[in-house]
Amino acid sequence: MPDYGHDLLFGTFVTPSASPAHHAVDLAVAADRAGLDLVTFQDHPYQPRFHDTWTLMSYVASRTERIRLSGNVLSLPLRQPAVLARSAASLDLLSGGRVELGLGAGAFWDAIDAMGGRRLSPAQAVVALEEAIAIMRQIWAADQPGGVHVKGDYYAADGAKRGPAPAHDIGVWIGAYKPKMLALTGKTADGWLPSLPYLPGGPAVLGDLNERIDEAAASAGRSPSDIRRLLNINGRFGDTSTSLLNGPPDQWAEELAGLTLEHGITGFVLATDDEYTTELFAAEVAPATRELVAAERRG
Amino acid sequence: MHYGHALTFGTFLTPTATEPARVVSLATRSEELGFDLVSIQDHPYQPAHLDAWTLLTWLAGRTRRVTLAPNVLNLPLRDPAVLAGAASSLDRLSGGRLALALGAGAFWKAIGAMGGRTLSPGESVTALSEAIDIIRASWDVGDERPIRLNGEHYRVDGAARGPEPAHDVPLWLGAYKPRMLRLLGAKGDGWVVTHQLLRPGQLAEGNKLIDEAAVAAGRDPREIRRLLNVSGDFLGGPGEAWVDALLPLVVEDGVGTFILATDDTATLERFAGEVAPALREAVDRELPGTSLPPLRRAAVRARRREGIAYDDVPAALADAAIEPGDVGYAGVRSTYLRGGAPGLVLRPRTEEEVAEALAFARAHPRLPLSLRSGGHGISGRSTNDGGIVIDVSRLNSIEVVDPARRRVHIGPGARWADVAAALAPHGLALTSGDYGGVGVGGLATAGGLGFLAREHGLTIDHLRAVRMVLADGSVVRASDDENPELFWAVRGAGANFGVVTSFEFEADEVGDVGWARLVFDASDTAGLLHRWGATQEAAPRDVTSFLLVGPPRRGRPPVAHLMAMVDSADPETVLDRLRPFAEIGPLHDQSVVLTSYASVMANASPEAHNGHGEPVTRSAFAEHITPEFAADAERLLRSGAVYFFQIRAVGGAVADVPPDATAYAHRSANFSVTTFGVDRRRVDAEWDRLAGHLDGLYLSFETDPRPERLADAFPPATLRRLRELKATYDPGNVFRDNFNVTPERRSH
Ligand SMILES: Cc1cc2nc3c(=O)[nH]c(=O)nc-3n(C[C@H](O)[C@H](O)[C@H](O)COP(=O)(O)OP(=O)(O)OC[C@H]3O[C@@H](n4cnc5c(N)ncnc54)[C@H](O)[C@@H]3O)c2cc1C
Repeated sequence: MPDYGHDLLFGTFVTPSASPAHHAVDLAVAADRAGLDLVTFQDHPYQPRFHDTWTLMSYVASRTERIRLSGNVLSLPLRQPAVLARSAASLDLLSGGRVELGLGAGAFWDAIDAMGGRRLSPAQAVVALEEAIAIMRQIWAADQPGGVHVKGDYYAADGAKRGPAPAHDIGVWIGAYKPKMLALTGKTADGWLPSLPYLPGGPAVLGDLNERIDEAAASAGRSPSDIRRLLNINGRFGDTSTSLLNGPPDQWAEELAGLTLEHGITGFVLATDDEYTTELFAAEVAPATRELVAAERRG
Repeated sequence: MHYGHALTFGTFLTPTATEPARVVSLATRSEELGFDLVSIQDHPYQPAHLDAWTLLTWLAGRTRRVTLAPNVLNLPLRDPAVLAGAASSLDRLSGGRLALALGAGAFWKAIGAMGGRTLSPGESVTALSEAIDIIRASWDVGDERPIRLNGEHYRVDGAARGPEPAHDVPLWLGAYKPRMLRLLGAKGDGWVVTHQLLRPGQLAEGNKLIDEAAVAAGRDPREIRRLLNVSGDFLGGPGEAWVDALLPLVVEDGVGTFILATDDTATLERFAGEVAPALREAVDRELPGTSLPPLRRAAVRARRREGIAYDDVPAALADAAIEPGDVGYAGVRSTYLRGGAPGLVLRPRTEEEVAEALAFARAHPRLPLSLRSGGHGISGRSTNDGGIVIDVSRLNSIEVVDPARRRVHIGPGARWADVAAALAPHGLALTSGDYGGVGVGGLATAGGLGFLAREHGLTIDHLRAVRMVLADGSVVRASDDENPELFWAVRGAGANFGVVTSFEFEADEVGDVGWARLVFDASDTAGLLHRWGATQEAAPRDVTSFLLVGPPRRGRPPVAHLMAMVDSADPETVLDRLRPFAEIGPLHDQSVVLTSYASVMANASPEAHNGHGEPVTRSAFAEHITPEFAADAERLLRSGAVYFFQIRAVGGAVADVPPDATAYAHRSANFSVTTFGVDRRRVDAEWDRLAGHLDGLYLSFETDPRPERLADAFPPATLRRLRELKATYDPGNVFRDNFNVTPERRSH
């Protein structure tokens, strides 16, 4: 399968622990200093051990300089889309264009329901996500005439004002595995953000999933390269190679470059709460992977 | 009408989206100018504005001191349960600087256009009231039940509480109409209004409604701060005119906070430079001495325990004191191993404050008094039910005062992990326990058995002097030369004699150490124990090992974990020392590293204590691990009565000190034996059967409440001496929470 040709992004996936309060902040600052491109946080508003992810991202943005931030992924059912759109635009403006919007249709419906959120079936949640994205995109399109009008089954906006426009084109990245979500990703998203450990057959299934996204993109009149493919990864550094992403940094680089060249993955988000691992990923894996990919792309 | 609030000042800034840097710099300028508060309006339907929550959070990262508040947050577009969590996060991230000001909503058409629910004014007040309940419930982590609140507008059904904010986040409300004012009186902590939107006399009318509603709800109107937004235009003219205009609002209407609405730096500067100080002075003149310490909410006061004179807590301690309704209580009520529900936790920062706390506690002679340093007490019950805890965890300094003489001064609240980390750069270490979370206060007054024990002795053997606050409140230093008898008693029975506020130690030079963990099949438990004991006794002093044997597990053989430290940085020596240990039984797994003592001690979690119930433990010493003892120990493990059984090597340097040199007298034993179980009676019944093999006990590992244990902890001569000293230093038996030595009755 194709390499979609995007430049490579390397980032971390940090546990948004509420205690100690600055745990995640310190790790994000370390990722920023190490020169990584991206720091991301899961979002489980019903989980009291975690910070509120939007609040954490806003705080981290103000304490970092270069690194981009994203939810990985934000739980849409507990976030009002129009408010989220303006919040994202606001943070993008404050941070000089460093915000991307990782979104999920929702999971853990019992917990969402217990918080007073609306319980949806998986199929309904996909439709709701599409409606929410439409509202958000209209809000960001501040230069378009008229108000925001989306008459969805789950979300509606009826004449809300547009704006503010974000500082850059905020990428909407979707965590998708199932056909409907993959189709939505191809149809409308700027990025695809699955997790390697959740892929049933490991990296081998990436080809099939990419194909579904590509098909949906094509039928929406888009190019497959409009959708960046990112991947959450787990791994461990060690002296000897034991399995995928379990071994020395040069092994990682080869494996990741393989994922780029074979499966078009150009965003690698490593789940780690360890500063040393973060630094090693930035200092050794990222440049080596970039080199391997560049060499191969040059042909 | 005045409510006794100290006067504070804030700014009210426009979050203009096109100029994000401007509002940020106005906020940081506000902080520099000494304002107490920065507030941001919230109109989520207004595209010209930045989202207030996002901006406030950003500002939290760019400021250090000011309180941050939305002014006011539009509730209809924010989900209350999510908002509660977001507020906790912002409060935690900012170090306790959030004030959550809420509004019921306005501009309903714009809210509807965003997809929000439109409510009538009456409905919106009900919705706000429900939201407040949800938010307060979410913050109340002391209550372990899930939240169930089924309102007309919001429903939360089974959500978990938390995270807890860093401080008692005040809930302020923007309110103008009677219904809102009554809600505020019943549930709010502050009234935020904009001066320009008020008719003359409306402040007084509002105050009256609020105060009546507060009293009707069993509250004190002084719990509610009155905050007024004032605009720069209103304050045209010279500074004195501003003061003249604002003073009556304080004196007559009880305004405690003025929030200046302006986006003009010059106006901010003038206000901070001329108006604020002059107004403060004028208020002090008009209302001398009326400023009250912050008043706890009625809901907090309602959780107070009987018999404690809360209002008499000395001023120096009041700020940091924690009572049952307070934020932070969940983090201090319990200890590492014990659940508790104290009525008051005093947290002194200095020796003088310790003395004050003790005086306060002495005034409550019938209440339990617990003393806490690191909260890892086993015998020492450093929490209680309904009593007072003196928590000295904030006396936690670690100072290498004389590197050449290896002199170190350490506060009782320091943890051993921190001590090890602080000494390592000097090439020093202090023999301690094995767990980095344990506090210095509890361990260094009892003994201190750890991985350096055989080479470097007990922790107390390195103690050269202490400073302590005695039962009568006096502060003394004890060493070999000053109060030598007291110094003798502190080293082994310190908890009976006072609160140690500073320890003076002589540390040892310790470089890298060998650190090994071996896992054995313990099917032959008795054989393994015996072989380990013999191996350890034959080993040189530089190796100290602990053997932890698990009970048999369903269908699988039991395993034993050996942890050993070799005080040598030479890999050959380390391996030489360990080799015999590897042969004591079938080895499942092993790891050996050369590392620092500090990194071995970096093994504790930073989480607040969350113990439940009461630990059930026993302790004893053994001279040798005889085959008979080993067989009985195996029987104990097979009985199912215990889940933890550990033997530690002592002896070596520990035995170099004569038994009568310190109150810790069990010097000759080669082994310390400890067990943990669940059922007190079963554990005691099984353990008592081992008595023939054992002698004495280490009080820090013992929880058997039967009085005979005191005689096990202290041999007769030691106990006699302790009781005499107790009669001198603590005749009223103030200190009784840990192996209480009752005072010798004197016949005069
Ligand atoms: C996980 C764990 C591991 C342990 N490992 C070891 C070990 O390896 N070696 C060892 O020797 N012990 C060990 N202990 C026992 C430990 O040393 C004692 O429980 C000790 O009392 C804990 O001290 P603390 O300050 O943390 O406890 P706290 O609970 O704060 O205090 C316990 C008691 O000590 C007394 N006390 C506390 N502070 C002072 C003070 N400033 N002045 C006078 N008295 C005071 C009080 O009586 C109090 O009740 C361990 C305990 C635990 C829970």
